[in-house]
Amino acid sequence: MSKIDISIVIGGPQGGGIDTSSNMITRAFSYSGFPVISVREFHSNIKGRHSYVHLRVKDEKPKSFRYPVDVLVALDPDTIFEHFEDIGKGSKIIYDTEFETSDLSQARMIMRDTAQRIKNELESKKQPLNIKGVLNLMKENGGIPIGIPFSKVVTSVVSEGPATRYFNTLGASVTLSILGVDKDSTKSAIKDIFGNKEKVIEPNLKVVDSSYDYCETNGFKIRDLGKMPAKKVMLLTGNDGAAIGKIIGGLRFQTYYPITPASDESTILEEHDSIKWLEEESQNLKRGGVTVIQTEDEISAITMACGAALTGTRSSTATSGPGFSLMAEGISFAGMDEIPVVITMYQRGGPSTGLPTRNQQSDLLFALNTGHGEFPRIVMSSGDVEECIYDSIKALNYAQRYQLPVIHLIDKTLANTTEVVDSIDPDLVPIIGRVSPEKGSEIKRYSLNTENGISAMGTFGNNIFWMTGDEHDELGHVTEDSMMRDRQMEKRFRKIETARKEIPVSEMAQIIGDEKADITLVTWGSQKSLVIDILDDLSREGIRAKLLYLRMFQPFPSEFVSEVLKKSRKVISIESNMTSQAATVIRTNTGIEIKNNIVKYNGRHMTEDELLSAVKKIIEGKSEREVLRNGA
Amino acid sequence: MAHNFRTDLAIDWCPGCGDFGILTALTQALSESGTDPRNVVLASGIGCSGKTPHYVNVAGIHTLHGRAIPFAVGIKLANPNLKVLVTSGDGDMLGIGAGHFVAEGRRNVGLTVMIYDNQVYGLTKGQASPTMTLGMQTKSLSKPNIFGSINPITLALSAGYTFVARGFSFDTKQLKDIIKRAMVHEGSSVIDILQPCPTYNNVNTMEVFRKKVYKLEDDKDWDPVITNSNEEQLMEKYQQAYKKGMEWDDRIPTGIFFENRTVPSFPKRISEHSKSYLENPPALQVVSDEHGKSIVDPMKTFADRIV
Ligand SMILES: Cc1ncc(C[n+]2csc(CCOP(=O)(O)OP(=O)(O)O)c2C)c(N)n1
Ligand code: SF4
Ligand SMILES: [Mg+2]
Repeated sequence: MSKIDISIVIGGPQGGGIDTSSNMITRAFSYSGFPVISVREFHSNIKGRHSYVHLRVKDEKPKSFRYPVDVLVALDPDTIFEHFEDIGKGSKIIYDTEFETSDLSQARMIMRDTAQRIKNELESKKQPLNIKGVLNLMKENGGIPIGIPFSKVVTSVVSEGPATRYFNTLGASVTLSILGVDKDSTKSAIKDIFGNKEKVIEPNLKVVDSSYDYCETNGFKIRDLGKMPAKKVMLLTGNDGAAIGKIIGGLRFQTYYPITPASDESTILEEHDSIKWLEEESQNLKRGGVTVIQTEDEISAITMACGAALTGTRSSTATSGPGFSLMAEGISFAGMDEIPVVITMYQRGGPSTGLPTRNQQSDLLFALNTGHGEFPRIVMSSGDVEECIYDSIKALNYAQRYQLPVIHLIDKTLANTTEVVDSIDPDLVPIIGRVSPEKGSEIKRYSLNTENGISAMGTFGNNIFWMTGDEHDELGHVTEDSMMRDRQMEKRFRKIETARKEIPVSEMAQIIGDEKADITLVTWGSQKSLVIDILDDLSREGIRAKLLYLRMFQPFPSEFVSEVLKKSRKVISIESNMTSQAATVIRTNTGIEIKNNIVKYNGRHMTEDELLSAVKKIIEGKSEREVLRNGA
Repeated sequence: MAHNFRTDLAIDWCPGCGDFGILTALTQALSESGTDPRNVVLASGIGCSGKTPHYVNVAGIHTLHGRAIPFAVGIKLANPNLKVLVTSGDGDMLGIGAGHFVAEGRRNVGLTVMIYDNQVYGLTKGQASPTMTLGMQTKSLSKPNIFGSINPITLALSAGYTFVARGFSFDTKQLKDIIKRAMVHEGSSVIDILQPCPTYNNVNTMEVFRKKVYKLEDDKDWDPVITNSNEEQLMEKYQQAYKKGMEWDDRIPTGIFFENRTVPSFPKRISEHSKSYLENPPALQVVSDEHGKSIVDPMKTFADRIV
């Protein structure tokens, strides 16, 4: 068991600098040798509404999140109100003493329904409808409020500018000081975050000093954390991972229309569009950069990416549910015309605009069926940041190898989770090209002379050939001949069988944990790491279980999954949606129905505590279906 | 041997359709332009007009209804050395694809956009297209058209196209010359082509158009070209283009309305901040060595993520 295991929530108004605070906390722990994982939760709002970062620190790489928190850092009164349920025995609540006079009725940025729930809770516990009331509730649950005069701590050392400017540094510094992170690490974090902006660094360092002094004087420090050997690592989100993988994998053309949580990937690509090369390997090669185009809509995004792909360029687009809906016709075209294109699909809460900034895994069945007509596609999913990197390379490879649309699913939680990645090794996934005809030759783009369904793909600029969304003959001209139709349909579908044979099963599904265990937890996407933690928790209580982790849904590893499930006594699916979509895919492909389901659809990331108790309830036979509801 | 720009496919347009003249003008323009056929791509949408690429012996892509422009932009931006022409219907380009049409005016990627303007949705049996005038009733309509019409010329000008022209499918010589000049134009061009549809449009027939059309270039003083970014010249050329663009009822001008050579093309704009783009555009780059090893150094490229 991990010696260090600290959970933190730092919250404040959207646009109020909590990202800087969480960045400071993450870096300071990293410099002391303790890895951090963090995830960002926020409203669809630019300024004012409650947003927070949920962090966890362990002496080994943390994989999941947990409530109650050890420290709640409130940079505004709303944070205290919003997180009234996230406090347990010994939780520290760090807040500005000025908040103490805040009334719930003044917290206008709290959603009305949330405010009503808080009100009900306070009234039922006979508490006043203000911060004091909530703090009393928290104390009843074992919480320890630590009021700090934020302004005083700042103005005692910094006089220029408004004191509020430094509250995020203060919040992070107090947290770090209480948790026993040495001051040097905290100061290094400040220096690295603000780079060479001396004018900014200096006052912030002073605030670090005065925050540490304040905690010291008042005896807030819990312990000395000490230092572990720290090495250079990368701090990456899922969005970062996808962008990095794409660049390694040879992506040179990306299109997008802005949408949360997908467009961060494209802006990251824009920021890194001038690629740094491995000199030895590339000095004699034509090399350039990535061209990233913001389009007029997602219809344009997918069709433009297709157009670029036809010149031989590795191209892709990134979007989320509403944009993906608009792409349906273009994806169908890519299937029909055998265009290698990758669609990185960031799932968020639907239907419609839904919960635009919140997590969900409700587009799996849609991804499998997007677009009219029947055509082969690959649908794959990533579960952690490293997978985002390597899967993005693979997605580009699959698109080229099988000449079809590849839909790569990443969920919002993963997109916005920051993980420690030790290093990136591009050699893990070599680049696989497409079958190309000779340059300049006349080609039968859709030649039927192919056993595996793959025909040589000419490119515009090199070959003359035709393409049409209509059914076509080998040259790519329109045909309605009944026999040619059958043969082209069959050719296209042979590719998916080829893919099924060529792609190792381990790329499609994996068993993690005790293989012989007869309890099987089934999950996909961002719950992967969380469920691995749950396996440990269960084994500590003497319960043997394993994880069946799904990574590819088309082609689907039916035989493997079927074997695993047949040998299991109890199977529980765990998904962030309402209708257990992966379980549906399993049933469609194997005929096996998973009767026990854990679901969550409130848009917040699943946490260890809620999942563990749900899993145990089901294992004990007390329930068949559990709905998880954690999260502010 | 000279490249034959026609394929041997049987053409299935109705007899007397204006599309034939457009095909003739287009293949002649391609042939006379001296461009390597391998460097030309034709992109079309869906409709009678959308079939054009199959009849032309250059690389062709018959895309989705309304989406020829974004496909074409992807092709052009991945490989700006290619000449990319778009052959589209009026419904295709100004109805379902209007958003892309307008967006392309802002981009100025360097496409030659040809609109087959027959005022009807030919392939779906004659419904009113966005260019049919208010109150007009063709034989395919049960009631007069209650929509107003889009003016392709003034819309193209407003959207920012840097070359705006009109041709007539039964004057293939003039149309061919316009296409050739549009192909040389560095930015994006629009050619609105009066295209009689004898099957569904019995109002604006070949005979009617023949009587009404006249050529802008017949006026010796007509000069649509802007060669420097002088505000006054710009204003004057815009005004005369709009004015001519508004003529319709009795006399319909054809020829080049507007040609602005001073606006940088999108590829040039990209190369402003991405220096190697024109020399090594996406399509010409090599992404791995011969063993499939990626040539990217990810740790250096993403050095800002290292702590
Ligand atoms: C998304 C979509 N909606 C509808 C259609 C049906 N459709 C095919 S052609 C066409 C209209 C074509 O009219 P126009 O673009 O003017 O071309 P024309 O046939 O007149 O050359 C329509 C609506 C389609 N192919 N795709
Ligand atoms: S319907 Fe009209 S536009 Fe279509 S081929 Fe026939 S005449 Fe031409
Ligand atoms: Mg039409």
